[in-house]
Amino acid sequence: MAVARPTGGYLERPRPSGLADVVDVILDKGLVIDAFVRVSLIGIEILTIDARIVIASVDTYLRFAEAVNRLDLVQEDQSQGLPELMESMTSGGAESKTKGALSGIKEALTGDDDEDDDDKEKSSSRRRSSSSGSSSSRSSSRSRSRKSS
Amino acid sequence: MPQDNHASVYVYGVLSGADLAGVSVGGVEGAEVRTVEHAGLGALVSTLSADALAAARELRAHWRVLEEASKGATVLPVRFGTVMESDAAVRERLLEPNAERLTELLGELAGRVQLNVKGDYDEERLLRDVVRTSPQVGALRERVRTLSDAAGYYDRIRLGELVAAEVAARRQQDEGLMLARLEPVAVAARTEPVSSQTGAFNLAFLVESKEVDQFSAAVGALRAELGERVELRYVGPLPPYSFAEADLGAGAEAWA
Repeated sequence: MAVARPTGGYLERPRPSGLADVVDVILDKGLVIDAFVRVSLIGIEILTIDARIVIASVDTYLRFAEAVNRLDLVQEDQSQGLPELMESMTSGGAESKTKGALSGIKEALTGDDDEDDDDKEKSSSRRRSSSSGSSSSRSSSRSRSRKSS
Repeated sequence: MPQDNHASVYVYGVLSGADLAGVSVGGVEGAEVRTVEHAGLGALVSTLSADALAAARELRAHWRVLEEASKGATVLPVRFGTVMESDAAVRERLLEPNAERLTELLGELAGRVQLNVKGDYDEERLLRDVVRTSPQVGALRERVRTLSDAAGYYDRIRLGELVAAEVAARRQQDEGLMLARLEPVAVAARTEPVSSQTGAFNLAFLVESKEVDQFSAAVGALRAELGERVELRYVGPLPPYSFAEADLGAGAEAWA
């Protein structure tokens, strides 16, 4: 880093939103004129259930337990050993690992004509579902089907 | 009063009559977006023929209309999926009875924008930290690893529960840090629930348009401070979804 500015080297700016960034806000917020709503929204329950999926539940606990058990603590002492470094460079680090319950809907919501960030999200969830299901995608689909049945 | 084949009106948002300008993007069902005006207020609406809407597709239309309309004006977004009987109903039951409240809200939000700051934990770093700092978690983890899936079921739930509590404590701390730094440079703040299990915080701020740069600098400093532990997403400016809060009850004249 040649340029050392207090903000971390670059000028921070808000990024224009993609739909995926604000789906929870749009579903939940805004003026309510409830007595007038009469249109049926097909599929709305899927959108809203997914947006609220982060609740304390057995599913959440089992998922955390699984994730903690998978940790390879040997690496820990090497503090960012080579394998970890490689991984964060090749997979984009947090981005690919931390996508939660919303990525399913986000994929459903984002069309071809959308901005940059959505593409990234699509490719990360595609990658995950092809790897025979990570625990996060499994647990979210599990709770969804349980609720809708 | 059920009416067959009667087109209804989808409502997107309300803005000041002085700010009315055409919206060129298509609305819900691809319909043209127009305005219904009353007493210095305008409602953005489009005609709707269907009784049911595919939520995912029309959410996009709703969002686009509001994005475009709010480029040069302050718009109060109406909750997604709001439909009224007719233009006359928009005028007589939305704008007229609520004119004072709507005008006041528009005044409060004028010249201000919503900026969202969301954080997601790097899951692996987060969990390593939990295992390292909580002796209980560390010990139970060792035990669970020696048990079969069936035998360790309840221990695994207990382990997950402990981890979830540790994560919740970190969330609280990080959310507190964000608010302490950003609230002073904002007009108002809202905390929303995180939307994934590795979510760290989900915050909405109302910021004076002319102070966005100052707010951004504070976000930049926090980004540097959080480092790789938290992936920060800083998005906006948005129409003030989180700050246009009002239940405009229909009162006794509720239309059913």
